Amino acid sequence: MQLTKRTGRRSIRHSRGDSLFKALCVGFVAFFAAVCLYPLLLVLGVSFSNETDVLRYGYSVIPRNFTTDTYRYIFLQSGSRITDSYVITIFTTVVGTLGALLVTGMISFALSIKQLRYRNLIAFVCNFTIIFSAGLIPWYIVCTRLLGFNNSLNALIVPGMFSVWYMFMLRTFFADIPPSLYESATLDGAGYFGIFWRIATPLSTTALLTIGLMYALNYWNNWWNALLFIDRKELFPLQYLLYNVLSNVNAIRGGRMPPGVGSVRIPAETVKMGLTIVTIGPIILLYPFIQKYFVNGIMSGAVKE
Amino acid sequence: MHSEPTRGALPPRRKSAFVREMRRHKTLYLMCMPALLLLLALSYIPFGGLWMAFTNYKLLDGIFGSEFVGLNNFRLFFISPNALRYVGNTLIINAWGLLLGLVFPISLAIALNELRRGVFKRITQGVMFFPYFLSWIVVGAISWALFNTELGVVNSIYRSLGWEPVRWLARGEYWKGFLISFNVWKWSGYSSIIYLAAMSNFDPNLFQAAEVDGANKWQRIYHLTLPLLKPTAVVLTLLSVGRIFYGDFGMVWGIVGSNPVIGPYVHVIDTYVFTSMRSLGFSYTTAVGLMQSVLGLILVVGANALAKRINDGEGLF
Repeated sequence: MQLTKRTGRRSIRHSRGDSLFKALCVGFVAFFAAVCLYPLLLVLGVSFSNETDVLRYGYSVIPRNFTTDTYRYIFLQSGSRITDSYVITIFTTVVGTLGALLVTGMISFALSIKQLRYRNLIAFVCNFTIIFSAGLIPWYIVCTRLLGFNNSLNALIVPGMFSVWYMFMLRTFFADIPPSLYESATLDGAGYFGIFWRIATPLSTTALLTIGLMYALNYWNNWWNALLFIDRKELFPLQYLLYNVLSNVNAIRGGRMPPGVGSVRIPAETVKMGLTIVTIGPIILLYPFIQKYFVNGIMSGAVKE
Repeated sequence: MHSEPTRGALPPRRKSAFVREMRRHKTLYLMCMPALLLLLALSYIPFGGLWMAFTNYKLLDGIFGSEFVGLNNFRLFFISPNALRYVGNTLIINAWGLLLGLVFPISLAIALNELRRGVFKRITQGVMFFPYFLSWIVVGAISWALFNTELGVVNSIYRSLGWEPVRWLARGEYWKGFLISFNVWKWSGYSSIIYLAAMSNFDPNLFQAAEVDGANKWQRIYHLTLPLLKPTAVVLTLLSVGRIFYGDFGMVWGIVGSNPVIGPYVHVIDTYVFTSMRSLGFSYTTAVGLMQSVLGLILVVGANALAKRINDGEGLF
């Protein structure tokens, strides 16, 4: 009797403590999520505001007078600068990602084959580059003098084409494929490349998609190669154009101008935020579909990125 | 399997084993070539350029024809008050990043783990992960929206509270803190996924047993969850320690850029090398980069050895 009473009381106290804890958890998560969301809503809100309101009342999440003038300016009145940059970014992202997948896929597959005698040596050659590097300046000199990266699209594509981290992730996936699946193909006369292309690749589509998306994100968000190697404005990727517009809003104008808009005043503040939204737009639209691949990628060893 | 050459095999036979292996797996080695060529061009050939650190590099004399000056470039670094300041900035920003990079992701992971599966959890988690997808330039745009003097949100709040607005972009002393906060903002959701992954492997029986024994939530977290998360936290921390002399170029340049007033407060070794490569010369900046790489190598190798000792032989890479 006494015993049940005591446990009964304890479980009440216990559950009260637990529900307090649960409430704290919900509160903390909600707070942090709000902190993550607010800046994005702010940028979005300002991009749909009218420049005069922003100049009078400052930045705010809710537009006083909803308008799409900013986007009209960006896409119709600022010249071809933005579409040029969009094309550059899409081109480098697509070409770079496909190339990176092929380059990374091939070496990961080769290193996952246990019969390859020098695979540990090759893995070390790869690994060593993550723990020791020559630093920015020698790299920069090689890129400009030897590889001719100045004002070349190669500068935006080649440096991001092979990541040792992603190679090791992909190798783990390939290594999990049972070798017996390869043996039958070998009997049919397929070479290693045939096995890679027709058996290993289709079996690892999720892994390839995950790593492809990670490469694509890196290409999309890259501005640092442009900062180092690109001066010609028509070769600016989107991120680097945004960087230039943030420090000097006039950078948005240029390229082929549509007739009759030469005198349109730049809505300086809303354009900065509108261009930010334009830059991250595709990521926002794709986010619901791609999020899970990144989560998988992180869980399966991108820990070490 | 073909027979391995015996230990006492003569050099010519070994060489033929090498040739045999190359022939046998020609396709596989060819498949490694594109990646290896990229590494050769972008990682291995630059090692030759390290020689510049010991010379007074002149464009006309070339890398190997310039005057040899021994360790003079390194000496210049240690007598330059600015340079040491940037080392300090790098260490301070990284140390805070490391500490808050433990506190926030772990508490978020614990809190998320308490929530039932459902819309709230899915949406909040998605929102917290999103900043990871943004470039530092976009974060720079957000920082402008928050902190510009005339129109920024922070000063609007100050005005509505009746306080004097602050010219944030002219007050460098605040920006180390801002950068550290933006870093937490960008990475917490990402890192919390790593801890959630670790938590999904916990043995539920342990927690049920603790509950039966009368341990409340706090006790279970303190005595079970945190100790079980320790290996993951140790690995991540050691990785950050290995990189403590590397500043986040993208973060500093994307948010602060070339602002000369804030610069001295937030510039890290990497941005210092970038901004001074023309003004102070390639030799000097190569020397700075070389010191950074050597320190990084020592720390990473040390951290790896430590990780192996702590995590039963499981290293960082």
